[in-house]
Order: sequence, then structure tokens, then C-alpha cells
Amino acid sequence: MWVKLAFKLFARELRRGELTIIFAAIALAVLTVFSLSSVTERIGLNIEKKTSDFIAADRRLSSNHAFTDNYINEANQQGLETASLLFFDSMLFANDELVLGSVKAVTEQYPLRGMVEIKDTLESVGYEIRGGPKSGNIWLSEGLFYTLNVNVGDTVELGAGQFTISKVLVSEPDAPFFSLAGNKRVLLNYADIGSTKAVQVGSRVFHRLLFAGTDAQLSDYYLWLKPQLKENQNWEGVKDRQSPLGENLARAERFLLLAGLFGIMLAAVAMAVSAKRYCERQYDPVAMMKTLGGSRVVIRKIFLTHLALVTSVSIIIGLSIGFVLQYFGANYLAQFMGAELPSAGIKPWLLSAFIGMTCALMFSLKPLLDLFDIPPLRVLRRNLGDRLAISRIHMASSLFTIFLLMWLFSGEIVITLILFGSSLLVIGVLFGISRALFSFGRKLGLSPGSSWSLAIATLQKRANANAVQLISFALAIKLMLFLVVLKNDMISDWEMQVPADAPNAFFINIAEQDIEPITTFFNDNNITHEAFYPVFNARVNAINGEELARRVSKQEGEERDEDAREGVSREPNLTWLSEIPEGNEVIEGEWFSNGDDIEVSVFEGWKEVLDLELGDTISFLANERRFDAKVTSFRSVDWGTLKPNFVMILSPNMAGKTPVTYFSAAKLEAQHNKGVSQLLQRHPTMSMIDIKSRLEQAQSIIAQVSLAIGFVLSIVLVSGALVLISQVQASLAERMQEVVILRTLGARGRLIKLATLYEFVLLGAIAGFVAALVSDVALLLIQQQLFDVAGRLHWYIWLLGPISGAAFVATIGYLMVANTMRQNTQGLLRNLS
Amino acid sequence: MSVLSQLNIIQVAGLTKRVSTLEGDLTILSEINFSVKSGESVAIVGASGSGKSTLLSLLAGLDIATDGDIHLDGDALSTLDEEARAQVRAQKVGFVFQSFMLVQSLTALENVMLPAELAGDVNAKEQAIALLEKVGLSHRLAHYPSQLSGGEQQRVAIARAFIGEPKILFADEPSANLDSKNGQLIEKLLFDLNKQNGTTLILVTHDEHLAQSCQRVIHIEGGKLEQISEGGAVNVG
Repeated sequence: MWVKLAFKLFARELRRGELTIIFAAIALAVLTVFSLSSVTERIGLNIEKKTSDFIAADRRLSSNHAFTDNYINEANQQGLETASLLFFDSMLFANDELVLGSVKAVTEQYPLRGMVEIKDTLESVGYEIRGGPKSGNIWLSEGLFYTLNVNVGDTVELGAGQFTISKVLVSEPDAPFFSLAGNKRVLLNYADIGSTKAVQVGSRVFHRLLFAGTDAQLSDYYLWLKPQLKENQNWEGVKDRQSPLGENLARAERFLLLAGLFGIMLAAVAMAVSAKRYCERQYDPVAMMKTLGGSRVVIRKIFLTHLALVTSVSIIIGLSIGFVLQYFGANYLAQFMGAELPSAGIKPWLLSAFIGMTCALMFSLKPLLDLFDIPPLRVLRRNLGDRLAISRIHMASSLFTIFLLMWLFSGEIVITLILFGSSLLVIGVLFGISRALFSFGRKLGLSPGSSWSLAIATLQKRANANAVQLISFALAIKLMLFLVVLKNDMISDWEMQVPADAPNAFFINIAEQDIEPITTFFNDNNITHEAFYPVFNARVNAINGEELARRVSKQEGEERDEDAREGVSREPNLTWLSEIPEGNEVIEGEWFSNGDDIEVSVFEGWKEVLDLELGDTISFLANERRFDAKVTSFRSVDWGTLKPNFVMILSPNMAGKTPVTYFSAAKLEAQHNKGVSQLLQRHPTMSMIDIKSRLEQAQSIIAQVSLAIGFVLSIVLVSGALVLISQVQASLAERMQEVVILRTLGARGRLIKLATLYEFVLLGAIAGFVAALVSDVALLLIQQQLFDVAGRLHWYIWLLGPISGAAFVATIGYLMVANTMRQNTQGLLRNLS
Repeated sequence: MSVLSQLNIIQVAGLTKRVSTLEGDLTILSEINFSVKSGESVAIVGASGSGKSTLLSLLAGLDIATDGDIHLDGDALSTLDEEARAQVRAQKVGFVFQSFMLVQSLTALENVMLPAELAGDVNAKEQAIALLEKVGLSHRLAHYPSQLSGGEQQRVAIARAFIGEPKILFADEPSANLDSKNGQLIEKLLFDLNKQNGTTLILVTHDEHLAQSCQRVIHIEGGKLEQISEGGAVNVG
């Protein structure tokens, strides 16, 4: 029998709108968690997959020494795919031309992830394949064809071996993003290494094993491998490698996560407020039921059924809407990411349902338990049980739950602490401020009967209730301000990184005498271009007279930046510059002094790799000539920008001391294609690296992610509105009583309306002001901790906070009570009874 | 149990209610003794704050006494816990309140059905419709309390009070919130149904006229039973 009664009461409460906010809040929390965690999970998986393409594998193992066979055997036994790679430099000879090529010998399985792009002839269109050259064949990059004056089908000598040139090598998935050796790349079959006789004991070579498989297989293998890893063997996952795109997406993912957290926090507040209100409104019916002989057990069953129904139905609604949103959202993003996004799996479903359930339980259970304790005597003594509503335990458990949810969802304790701490600060500051402001308002001495004085009187009268309202409003506004500022900052950072006029083509290997005609070509065709940087290769030979090989071995076994280590074992590209380039900052020492000695500025990441100190002397070997440079500064380098960056920059007095080629970048449009290809033919040593498609991809992804952020912002706005609505709704009965009294006393409708409006304007403005104050402080922390950008003050939010607060709170609050004010006094009286 | 106590549906002995306040204990009711026979109508009268509502709450088992005993149809309320008292109320007691106390989210019919449903009665609906007809509200079955006038709401409350066929009906100022016409209508209904069902009626009021309609009047003053007088027991209305 109680089941029928429970459902009937539930249906009625639902129809009366008593449960709407709780429903909406749980559904919104579930929807936020689901859509965000599944979209970010799917994007994350896709980035991982794409990044896997960048290293042509899921994991790789690198060393200066050959690997023992059991590494591969064990991997194959565990079901992993493997490929072996060997890097070495060797001379190529054809048509009396001799050139040093960067050779990569690969086994048949290469690449395990991603594709190799080749052309059948120099003139034909490139296409992608999986695999390398067959034994006896060799693939050369385009630049080598011009230097060696060969064509596809010709023979070329590599070391002691002879090979047929079968394809033009356009790109390899695991080639460095900005490779200046791009024009001298050679792909060779692993089986042919012996015939070149270029690899002897003591040769400078680099070994690499590629692995691909499931996460479980890879981690099992790593467990086996770890104890056997030697000092010079470096195990790398996809996450160790960074690309500007990946970094931006990771940043966006963090932003979405943060926004999601805010959504949950706000939904939780709305839920707590409306659950409390719902239970309070059930005090009389419960007291009545108890009076009529309803047992505690039956009453408990009825209301726990309500909780179960609200929870399950809203979780289902949240999941359904979330599923639809993420389906379209992820597919929309997938179009721009050029791939079907991998399925997110079961995790988002479980996580969001769990969060929905936790929210419902933690924020509703305490008021519900209070409800069961309502004494039947309340039917005679109307205020009996009212004090149950004010519970410190409920407050503390709600706060603790919010904290746990944020931590669970973000998995980041620092961020959770900052957000949670700043929110607590809002609460503390607001309690003080609200009381002070309300008592100050009393002294303003506005003329009696004016809407303003009525508004202030109302605010004062409910100082405690208003403090609670103010806190929720300020929290909501604070979180919204946060997101608006972060969104603006992040997007402007991106636009700075990938500006619309960013160069989309790099020109390398430019001879000094070619600079002038190329500049003329650029100018004649209105092509914007960068300066011509002198570039040359040099090997870091010794530091302070100590041979490098020994120094590097000290560092082996430690996690290091891949590019840095490769550079150490090979030859970094050097340049000289008089001015510090954009995106670089001297963090230790001074920029060049214009003295006679050659000075060098080193990327900070290399300081540790090479164990360098200011004042150390690096001995370089370039074109078999040795020169020394003194380390006078260490620089931070923003690798996220699409600008040419150098690990080592020499002082301008290096000019003329070594032969160099030049390097530049330009922004090309479609109409320049023909001219540029003629330019490349006129200057055959010069090569072009086209990054147009990557740039366009990056820009479109940023645009899409901005869209996603906008979507999340709107979810957070809805959550904020829910908080406001739940708060105003909670005070509606009291307001109605006031309206009745004022009306009965003869107050004009206009006076009451204006007073209500002003009250909300004041509440919103105060809340907005405090929100701006706390947001700016917390933003400084967040930007430094989470987004790795220098925090800055945002003066505009000091204006935006109070104004948007006043507008937002006044609009929603006024709309909520407007209906009350439209009713006639008789109707209001009847509702009150 | 004596024959006398069987005849007396309510027996009150040495009833005292004290509450602790910041200034110390406050005695609300002191040493109240009386009994009520089955089917009798009794009015409890007294000035505001005299303790009459407290007496009603103790008689109905909504609150517990500090000292003394109340036997309600043989059940010693002081020995029962909240759950057991609720069961006693469900089986034997009906209520009518000054402020009607209808559940706002339920219709008139559903409000009347509520006690029967809580007791697990499967014929709740038929009984409720019949009772609403009796109180003249058969045309208002699907109306919510907010759609009914005060008099109509109280009639719904009376119908609700009688649905479990209670042995005792407690009424707390049942006509105080109504105009005189509606008040009289409600009072007539109460007494009529009381007679028809043989229910014992305990009525708290400050309305001397209404009190005189009962067979006996218990006068409370300052928490003490001042006197028990015979009422007029005339039909009102």
C-alpha cells in the first residue's frame, strides 16, 4: 500500500515543481561528468593514438648500443608487435657527387603506428604506405635527388653497398617535427646494413626498438623489461613526447575538466539547497502522517523511494542527454581531427552514474533523516522541528562530499585544493562582508517608503538567510568569472601561438648567394617571410676540455628529453643571432656582450643534460674545425610556438668563421605553388618543408575546442542559474508572506516590485564584487599551477563581476518572484494557509 | 482491567507536563485527573496558554507526559514508544485541526484516503468517497486544498478524521479559522458524525457556545483542572 502512496506523492510533488531543481541538478551533474569525461577521454585516446603515430609505435626503446635478442623475443612472445631501427650517418655517392646522409635502417614491420609517405617519381603525387624499402632498394628524400643528381631507378652507393633508388621519401611518421636534416634522409632495409659496411665497432650509431600492443601487454612487457634495462637504454611512451597540438589539446582538456568541476560544484550547491527545501516542505505532511498513525517505517519507505526515484530517473535523463551530446560533440570534433575518435568505453558511464548517486545521497540524505525525526506534535506546535534544518553536520558533510567529488573527477589534488580553498574563502569573506554591509546600509537613512529603503530593510531583516544566498550567488559568479577569464586567456594564448599569419612553409639549406634572389622572389610575390637564419651543424665535442662521451654517460638512465639526447649524440643545429628570438627568455646569465670571444646561449633543458654551468666552455666540431664558445646564458624556449627554435645560439661574431646554409620561413598561399616549385628548381640545394596541413589542422582543432569550451561554459551557466533558482525558491514562501503583509498594508505593486528588484540587484552586485576579488587571486594560482602560464591580474572582471552579478541575479530572481507578485492578495493568502 | 476502566475510554491520572527552559523547569500541566466515557463528548476550555492544547497533545499520544498516566481505550500511553503510539492513533484516533492540516500536494479525495492508506486499507477510496459525500463535497473530489475554501478544507479534514472509524476524535479549535456560518456547519457535522458513529469527541475550544454543545466541559486554568461541568449537549446549528 505504501508503494502506491509513495508513487502518488512523488508524482504530485513532481507536478508541483518541488522536485524539478533536484532533478535538474542531479541530471546536470551526471550530464556534465558524462559528456566531458567521455569527450575528453575520447579526445585523449585520439591524441595518444596520434602521438603514437609521431613515434611510429606505442613505446620505444633507444640506446647507443645494440639490444640483445631476448628483448625482441620476449616482446613477440607476449604478443607485442616489434620493429628494429638503426640510425647512422654515411656517405652517399652517385654521379661523382658525395654527400653525408642520415640513414635510418628499418625492418619490414616499420612503422608500427602511422604511415610513411613516398612518391614514385619526383614529379608524381605522394601517397602513404606502411613499410620500408625492400632489400637492395633505398629511398631518398627529395633534396638528395638534386644534390646527387639522380632519379628514381638509378643506383647509388651507400658506404660499401650499392642500392637501387626505388622511391622518393616524403615523410616518416617519426621524423622530428622541425627537422633541418629533412633533406638528407635515407631509408634502408635493416637486412642491408651489413652490406654498407658503414657500421663497425665504435661507429656512432643509434639503436631503437619499436613496440605496439595493448596497454596491458605493454605494461606487462615493461614489468619484465624494467629490471634488465641498462643505463644507456631509454624506454619511452607517447606521453613523453610533446607536440604543440598535443599540448594545446591537453590544456583544453584540463580546462574542460576544470569547467566540469565547476559544473559539479554548482549542481551540488543547487542540489543541497533544493533537497533541504524539499524536505522542509515535507515537515508538515510527515508530522500529519505520523499524527494519523503512519509508522516511521512506512514514512521512511515513502521518502527513500522518492530519493531513489529522483536519483535513478535523473541519472537516466543525465546519461541520455549526455550520450547524445557527446555523440554529436565527439563526432563533430572527429571531423576536424581527421579520424574516428576511439570509443570511450564504460568508464564515463560508471563515473557519472556514481557521481550522480553520491550527490543525491550526500546532499539529500541528511535532510531526509531530519525529516524522519519530525515529531507529530508539530501539527499543534507549528515551529517544532524547524531547528532540525540548521545542521552543521549537513554543512560539513556536504562540503566534504563536494571536495571528494572534485578530487575524484579531476584526479588532481592541487587544483582541487586551490578551487576548494578559494571557495571556502568566498564563504568566509562573504559572511563578514554581508553582515557589515547590511548593518552599514541601515545607517544610510534613506527616506521611509522608498523602494531602496524597503529593499535594504528586507536585506537586513534576513541577514542570515541573505548571507547564505549571497554565498551561493558569489560562488556561482566566481566560478563563471573564472571560466570566462581562463577561456579568454587560453584562446588568446593559442592565437598567439598559431596566429593567422603564421608561416606555413620552412625553407632550409639556402646558400648565402641564394638569399638575394629568394628575397626578391618573396617580395615580388608579396609573400611574408621570416629573416634568414644562418644554420650549421656542429658536434658538441667537449666541455671545459673534457670529452663529451664521458659526461653524457653520467646522465644516462635518467629520463631526458628525446630531442635533447638525440642532439647530444648527433649534431645540434646552431645559429648566431644578435637579438634574443621571440618566445625565448634568458633565465640565467646575460645575453651576448659584444666581446671578442665567441659566446653561446643554451636552452635550459640542456643545462642538466650536459651538466653545464655559466662560464663553461663548449668545444664544437664543425666541418672538422674545432671552435670554443663560452656559456654566457641559459634560455627558456617556448617549444609550443610554430617558430624556429634553437637549442644553442652563438654570438654574432661567429659570422664568417664556418660555412653555413640559411633557413627561413614564409606564409604561402595556393597561388604561390607554381612559383615556389620553380624557385625550388632554380635553387636545387634548397628544400621546403610544408606544414600547411598541420597548421590548418591545429587551427581548426583550436576553433572546435573553443566551441566545446563555449558549450561547457553554457552548462556551467545553467548550473549557476539552478543555484540561483533554488535559492530564490527556498525563500519564496517567506517572500510571499512579506508581499501579502505589504499589500495588505496598502503598499503599491510598483513599490514592492522595485524593492524586490533592487534587493536582487544589491545582492548580485555584492556577490559579484566578492566573486571578482576571490577569482582574481585564485586565477593567479590556477594559471601558474594548471596552465603553466604567467598569472596576471584581470581588471575587467572587477567591473564584470558586480555588473554581471547584479544583472544575472536580478533577472533570475525577479522572474522567479514576479509570478508571486502578479497574484492578488486573496490568492496569496490562500496559498499561505 | 476494571469494569469502570472499560467504560472509560480515556482515563487520566496525575497527569503532569513540565518543560525545561533557560529559566528552569516550567510546569504546563499539573496533576490532572479525569476520565471520559465511550461515546461521550467533552470540551476542554481555558484561556490562551492555560495548557489545553498540551493536554490534547498528551491525550492523543502526540507528546509524552512527565508524570502520571493516560489510558486510551485500555492502552497505557506512557508505556508506549513513538511507534506504538502511532499505531494506537492509526487504530483508534481521528483528528481535526484549527489549521486543517491537509497535505497540499494531495487532492481532497487523496487527503481523506491518506490515513486508510497508511494503515494499509484496500477499500480506502470507496470509504473516502462516501465520507466526502457525507460532508457535501462529492463535487470536489479532485480539488487540491489550495482550490478549496476554508470551510471546504475543514470538511475534508473532518471526512479524513472519520475514515478509520476512530473510537475517539480529537478536535483542536475546529471552527476558529472559519466565519460563523461555516463554523456552525463544521460543528454540526462534527456532532452529527460523532453521534452516527458513536465516537468519543474531545474538543479543545475557547468558544463557550461550542463547549456547551458537549456533554461535559473541562475547565483548565494555569495548567490545573479547575472544574468539570455538565454541558448543554444541545445540538448546534
